[in-house]
Amino acid sequence: MGAAVSVREARKTYPGGVEALAGVSFDLSPGTFAALLGPSGCGKSTLLHLLGALEKPTSGSVAVDGHDLAALSEAARDDYRLRRAATVFQLYNLLPTMTALENVALPLLLDGLPRPEAEARAEKGLAEVGLSARKDAFPYELSGGQMQRVAVARALAPRPALLLADEPTGSLDSRSGAQVLDLVGELVAARGVTVVLATHDAAAAGRASRVLRLLDGRLVDG
Amino acid sequence: MRGLGPLLAPLLLRPLRRDRLRFALTVSGIAVGVATVAAIRLANSSVLSSFSRTVDLVAGKASLTVLADGPGIPEGTLERLAWVRSQGVSLVPALSVTAALGTPDGEVVELLGVDPLSDGSARDYRFASGPRALADAFAVFEPGAVLVSETFAARHGLSRGSPLPLLAGGARRSLHVAGILRAEGVARAASGSLLVADLATVQEVAGRAGWLDRIDLVLPDGAPGAFRDRLAEEVRASLPPTLTVGRPERRNETVDRMVRSFRVNLTALGLIALLVGTYFVYNTVSISVLRRRADIGTVRGLGASARAVFAVFLLEGAALGTLGSLLGVALGTLLARGALAAVGGTATDFYLAAPPPAFRADAGVLLFSFVAGVVASTLSALAPAAEAARVAPAATMRHGSVEAARRRTTRPLALLGLVLLALAAAATRPGPVAGLPVFGFASVFLVVAGASLLAPLAVTAVARRADRPALALLGVEARIARANLTGSLSRTSVAVAALAMGVAMMVAVAVMVGSFRGTVEQWVSQTLKADLFAAPESGRAGRSLGRIPQDALDLLERIPGVAEVDAFLSFEATRDGIPYTVGCGRLEAIARRGNLPMADGRDPRAVAAEALARGEALVSEPFATRFGLGRGDVVRLPAPGGEVPVTIAGVYTDYSNDRGTVTVDRALFRRLFGLDGASSAAIYLSPGVDPEEGRRRVLAALHGRFAIAVRTNATLRAAALALFDRTFAITYALDAIAVAVAVLGVFNTLVALVLERQREIGLLRVLGASAARVERAVRLEAAAIAALGTVLGLAQGGAMAWVLVHVINVQSFGWTIRMEVPGRFLAFSLALVLAATLLSALHPARLAAGTDPAAVLKEE
Ligand SMILES: Nc1ncnc2c1ncn2[C@@H]1O[C@H](COP(=O)(O)OP(=O)(O)O)[C@@H](O)[C@H]1O
Ligand SMILES: [Mg+2]
Repeated sequence: MGAAVSVREARKTYPGGVEALAGVSFDLSPGTFAALLGPSGCGKSTLLHLLGALEKPTSGSVAVDGHDLAALSEAARDDYRLRRAATVFQLYNLLPTMTALENVALPLLLDGLPRPEAEARAEKGLAEVGLSARKDAFPYELSGGQMQRVAVARALAPRPALLLADEPTGSLDSRSGAQVLDLVGELVAARGVTVVLATHDAAAAGRASRVLRLLDGRLVDG
Repeated sequence: MRGLGPLLAPLLLRPLRRDRLRFALTVSGIAVGVATVAAIRLANSSVLSSFSRTVDLVAGKASLTVLADGPGIPEGTLERLAWVRSQGVSLVPALSVTAALGTPDGEVVELLGVDPLSDGSARDYRFASGPRALADAFAVFEPGAVLVSETFAARHGLSRGSPLPLLAGGARRSLHVAGILRAEGVARAASGSLLVADLATVQEVAGRAGWLDRIDLVLPDGAPGAFRDRLAEEVRASLPPTLTVGRPERRNETVDRMVRSFRVNLTALGLIALLVGTYFVYNTVSISVLRRRADIGTVRGLGASARAVFAVFLLEGAALGTLGSLLGVALGTLLARGALAAVGGTATDFYLAAPPPAFRADAGVLLFSFVAGVVASTLSALAPAAEAARVAPAATMRHGSVEAARRRTTRPLALLGLVLLALAAAATRPGPVAGLPVFGFASVFLVVAGASLLAPLAVTAVARRADRPALALLGVEARIARANLTGSLSRTSVAVAALAMGVAMMVAVAVMVGSFRGTVEQWVSQTLKADLFAAPESGRAGRSLGRIPQDALDLLERIPGVAEVDAFLSFEATRDGIPYTVGCGRLEAIARRGNLPMADGRDPRAVAAEALARGEALVSEPFATRFGLGRGDVVRLPAPGGEVPVTIAGVYTDYSNDRGTVTVDRALFRRLFGLDGASSAAIYLSPGVDPEEGRRRVLAALHGRFAIAVRTNATLRAAALALFDRTFAITYALDAIAVAVAVLGVFNTLVALVLERQREIGLLRVLGASAARVERAVRLEAAAIAALGTVLGLAQGGAMAWVLVHVINVQSFGWTIRMEVPGRFLAFSLALVLAATLLSALHPARLAAGTDPAAVLKEE
């Protein structure tokens, strides 16, 4: 079951006066695939950090399933990231010192699953992204597209309600980029996961059921 | 180099100001290593140069000197050489003895006995007050007159006529100052602590009537070298082979040999301390490169060449080395001064009873220590500087691939390590080179190098095998730690190797010293059986000076309650300039008591009885090793009349003298060398007499006539072990330094790793790992490094200990010691090392926990 997201008048001002977000409000119902579209520097990553409980808004609120993230304790936010909200970045998502399988199994182990179970689920996840054969490869042995697919498998392994993807195809060629996005679309649809996909690429935003346009820290034409 | 200048400020100077503590730590790490090397060598060179100056000053204008291989030169030799006078050559006899002032401070002095009529032709005397000429000085005063230097007089508040109490030859003598010499010529010998007296006075004081210890030959002015050489030949021909003639300086060679092993061993330890110190530089420069990766990329993007970047970081290493070495040389000078002031340093304490040497800042030694520090530091900056030069312009590296390339070298490296270990084993076979365990040291070095090369494989192999059990037992943090360990192999394996080296040094030295102590303790309890031990009082000298007179020995035997007196008497002999000791004891007493353990395990009673019956000798183990002689071989003893061949009946263990001793029965000794009295005497009390009571009786009987120290068995044993512990205190200090440096190295590595892995730590936090878990992962990683380093260090240290005990020790000192593992001490020290390493992980772990994921993840 996907998460319900509710953002109200969220502002983020960084020390030094940069206003990355200047009052953003929107709601996402569970299972929505939303694209966050805007040019570089408009505040996409900042908004995803707020949604991932990595940062707190300067004012306003960010709530997931009715819980204001800023009000959560440190431990509850760790738990939120572990079980509810998964993130995929543009680059360097994987721990370079672990194999693909170990990377995917890591969040499950963090959640306290015994190793055999965690690894079985991780293998299944890798199979879903078509990388069973590469499970013992280290990240530097994988192509960019393969790395991102491992990252997707790892993000979905703990069965999150919310997937935050920050330009996940930004450094891939268009073909493997499309491949990754297809995969994400397929997997989240089956699970009903709510997705926020940040991108500056209108084509990538095409697969979304809802598009949020961000410009200079504000949402334009809803 | 072109393009270097603009890089200095951003890459070197500004960071230096920001990171003062880390740089200060590094500088002090180098400083300690350099200081250790400098102090050891400075103290040594001061002792030697002080001695050789004395030799030169006492030799004065003499071109040739007759010396004895045996106990001395009979006075009659002067008559035998009288013919040289017809060639315009002066014969100048002298006898010098070491004595102590009879004042409470017991300062050690050198007493030189001269012939007032002839001595002026060899040595320079300038009077500050008193008589004008040497001949007058002793003519005016009755026996007991001495001349002192003005510095000595000032130090002790002496003037003409002042009484001067002296402890010599087991008695208190009352001398008096007859004149004061200016601090020139011979008066500067023995750092000014030289007393000059009439020959007869010194012979009487030392109980050596009829003996000289040198005859100097002063050639006519302008005599050519050929004349000297021919004269030397003729003099040699007219003397028995136990008297040698040659340049006076040859005494220096003998003394140098006495302290050489000790010096070389300490220097080797010092160099290891320096080696560990350079590890600091490696680490610091590595961290600098790491922290400045982005800056390096930027300046490279702006056009700085890779060579310029390389040069900057090499310069950082050189600069740290220069600072540390300068500081180290200064610190070493202070340390050496301190060591010399305290009883003249161990070397003199042990090997030379002589006045405390003056400190001399040997420029060669200072330069050597300084250059060693700078070169070692610069070399250790090579690898990180090369790493810096490889940073691509304005690009981020895929950390994983660099490390992966390095992971592929673990097997070849380990193979090379095994080859080095095999070579280390082979290097234990050859004997010493010029009396020094050169191959032994090479073996220790090869063990260190070989084990270090095995470290990467050890890390990966253990990490692979321990992964699953650790995961099950300790949780997912263990897997994170494992991934980090193998993922940053180039850093973690260096930390493991460095820690292993520190631990190995500790283990090796602890086992060596522990084995030695255990062996000596047992030997002491086997040989020191008597109730009381007597030796001449010798003030502050570390060992006894002179001899107990025969009268005193006779007196001892008549004291009620004394059952038996076993006197030991010895003199220092040389053979081809190599020093050794000739001594005697009552073989009959050994045959009865068996208190002289044999090196081959035979029954000492039987061996001593056999030697007594056949007039044979027993030799100490160091003697046998050093001269390559054993049971059944013949030694030639330097009797005044000529060499006397004596067969060796057996080899006994002896840890009191590494020069080696030949022991014969007292009666034979007296017949061969015409000496009596005793260097020391063991006193057995009648049954039922309490040792303390016996000591009181002996002291009471000796009181007023003799100055003889009497110690009970318990006190002497304690003193022997205390001397032992004092001698080895410095090795423990070096040890502690090595371990401390290694632990700091782990700390440095962990800090570097945490900084390097900021992004990965951020990722872990995004995946939902709490700060506490991140912290725990770093601690587990430290624990793994500590455990691996300790285990590797134990194995490496065991091998090093074996080489130290069975190769270096035997080749340096000639005695065998039983290997003994001081379990409790080792367990305690290892626990300490482990605890220190874990404690050192606290800060880097907190640093990791404090990493802000949002900040590090946006840096893309
Ligand atoms: N930690 C920060 N400190 C200061 N300024 C920041 C920080 N993070 C982002 N910014 C600024 O906020 C603005 C929005 O950044 P970001 O959210 O990364 O944009 P996007 O992801 O859309 O490119 C930019 O101007 C950026 O420079
Ligand atoms: Mg962004």
